Amino acid sequence: MLNAATLDSRAAERLVGFPGFLRANGFGVGGGDAVPVLQAARRVGLLDPQVLRWSLQALLCGRGDEWRRFDELFDAWFLPANRWQAPERRDAGGGTLGGTCPRGPAGHHAADDEGEDAVHPRDTASPHETLSSADFSTLTEREHTLEVEALMRRFARQLRHLRLRREARARRGARLDLPATIRRSVASGGTPFHLAWKDRRRVRPRLVLLIDVSRSMALYSFFYLRLARALGAELNDVHSFIFHTRITAVSQALHDPDPWRAQERLHLMAQGWAGGTRIGESLAQFNRRHAPRLVHSRTAVLILSDGYDTGEPQALSDALAQLRRRARRVVWLNPLCARPGYAPICQGMQAALPHIDLLAPAGDLASLQAVLPELIAALH
Amino acid sequence: MSAERSLELAALQQELAQAGYIADPPLAAALLLMQDLGRPLLLEGDAGVGKTEVAKVLAATRRTRLIRLQCYEGLDAHAAMYEWNYQRQLLAIKLLEHDERASTKDLAQKEQDIFSERYLLKRPLLEAISCDEAPVLLIDEVDRADEAFEAYLLELLSDFQLSIPELGTVHATSRPWVVITSNGTRELSDALRRRCLYQYIDYPDHAKELAIVRLKVPGVAAELAQQIVAFVQAVRRMELQKKPGIAETLDWTAALLRLGISVIDVDGADRILQTLSTLIKTRDDGAAFPREVVARLAATC
Repeated sequence: MLNAATLDSRAAERLVGFPGFLRANGFGVGGGDAVPVLQAARRVGLLDPQVLRWSLQALLCGRGDEWRRFDELFDAWFLPANRWQAPERRDAGGGTLGGTCPRGPAGHHAADDEGEDAVHPRDTASPHETLSSADFSTLTEREHTLEVEALMRRFARQLRHLRLRREARARRGARLDLPATIRRSVASGGTPFHLAWKDRRRVRPRLVLLIDVSRSMALYSFFYLRLARALGAELNDVHSFIFHTRITAVSQALHDPDPWRAQERLHLMAQGWAGGTRIGESLAQFNRRHAPRLVHSRTAVLILSDGYDTGEPQALSDALAQLRRRARRVVWLNPLCARPGYAPICQGMQAALPHIDLLAPAGDLASLQAVLPELIAALH
Repeated sequence: MSAERSLELAALQQELAQAGYIADPPLAAALLLMQDLGRPLLLEGDAGVGKTEVAKVLAATRRTRLIRLQCYEGLDAHAAMYEWNYQRQLLAIKLLEHDERASTKDLAQKEQDIFSERYLLKRPLLEAISCDEAPVLLIDEVDRADEAFEAYLLELLSDFQLSIPELGTVHATSRPWVVITSNGTRELSDALRRRCLYQYIDYPDHAKELAIVRLKVPGVAAELAQQIVAFVQAVRRMELQKKPGIAETLDWTAALLRLGISVIDVDGADRILQTLSTLIKTRDDGAAFPREVVARLAATC
């Protein structure tokens, strides 16, 4: 094996800086990764950039979206500036969904100084467009946060007690676990002193939240996003999406530990929010792209929307029927439901009603609190 | 050094092809690196893109055993790591009780014996680290197991040792080649991801899929293979609930051959429809393939 000295020191420096550059671009790599990078480079050699690229890709990527962004970042870091043609911005057009971070590579200076300063001017302009439609600045405001968190904690605690059919070993239970009892009896020479029991296992359903953020929902969407954030902090299997005319995953952005950055990321994702609502289309899109991966027989889907749909009611009905077949429960929380004299007569709700397990009001904290027992019952 | 590496890479691809697997250069590079750094390889991608096959073919080219652990919900340490053979332990205890000749010294000896390796049943993870020759350990669909199992796995993958309370720590006699696959139904922990090399496997493009069909079904005519692959690629571009994977393509090829179909064209749409059950696996998707659609697809192939 060659030793470190054989790597030209300039190249080594460049290589060592690469994990930091990836980190600045949102990769989950740490400072410790510089060592395996050097090791790999020593094994692979530097003359053939392709082999080095593939090796570092295997080494430094950890998930699918990192895998897809890697090539661009590798070019940006290693190729001389004139050879790097800025690749087309696939995520800038808004067609892709994974775009939790719709910017080009952050310059490596960003890693050194402030982290987020290197955002391109075009991206930073976007918040001004969306401020009129939805205001996320309230997302982390102190005022109601404590109450929301307390309620979600209670909800989460009750969810933990949901039991499904599957059995598992338990301290106390209704049925004897014979294999385990015999196994334990070995210690006492074959006399079963300590009995082992089986009981129904507690399996919390997975929660998928689909939050309507169209203009008609502007009053409520920030509140729902806060719910999603608080719920995600309590439970680990919560997946949140926002939709208006298309659907976008927001779990990662919501759970960004830095609240300021969480706001910023949501702003970036919300470009062009003021448009109409196409619930059916958004749900169909969800069925295609996310449902096969996320929705299984223990999944409860919560749709948070007022049901005002500008799309085809038939599309909504079809998409919901498909979703209903996959999921365990589909619950629709409608903020308007609590108003006196409300009846679900708008086309969207009419189309949806046959396919949902529960329609409940959730206009504010109080009504949500009131509906919680019903909600828990529906999730059973 | 680097010229050697690309030669090595080409040689590995060649070797894999001989064993029946067409590997992209990035995958081959990752397999080489896995050898260099001794890290596990985490494979992600849709169902049916050939993730599990990587481990099988790796075992074949290394001429070593493949030990497979299929993960499922509720997988526990007893099923994954080790289990005491308590029937035999009890039997030994009973025999000892009735053995009147045994002295106290014998008894002490026997007592220790009850929790010795003789009574230990090795499950895949323990088996994999106690082989003389390094095997390939395939941990299939790790996302189905729960978080607790991931924690056991981390201990194994970081130190290559297992602790058994009654017996002590078992160190690896050889380091297995670990291949982990995931379909992404649950987010894996960052700790696990960080310990592994990563590879995302996508559906194959036209050229790669054609090579796979030619390799796996040698009896198929070049022109038909071309058409089959074009058809399947077109089907994948449609919006389906369940896209056909590589295994489906191969099944379909076999079905077409069995029916004696030698060319895909508009007139053959009816016969193609009969075989579509090998490609289309849900009712909704089936509804998206009336005769006209099949005929149109066939015409473009």
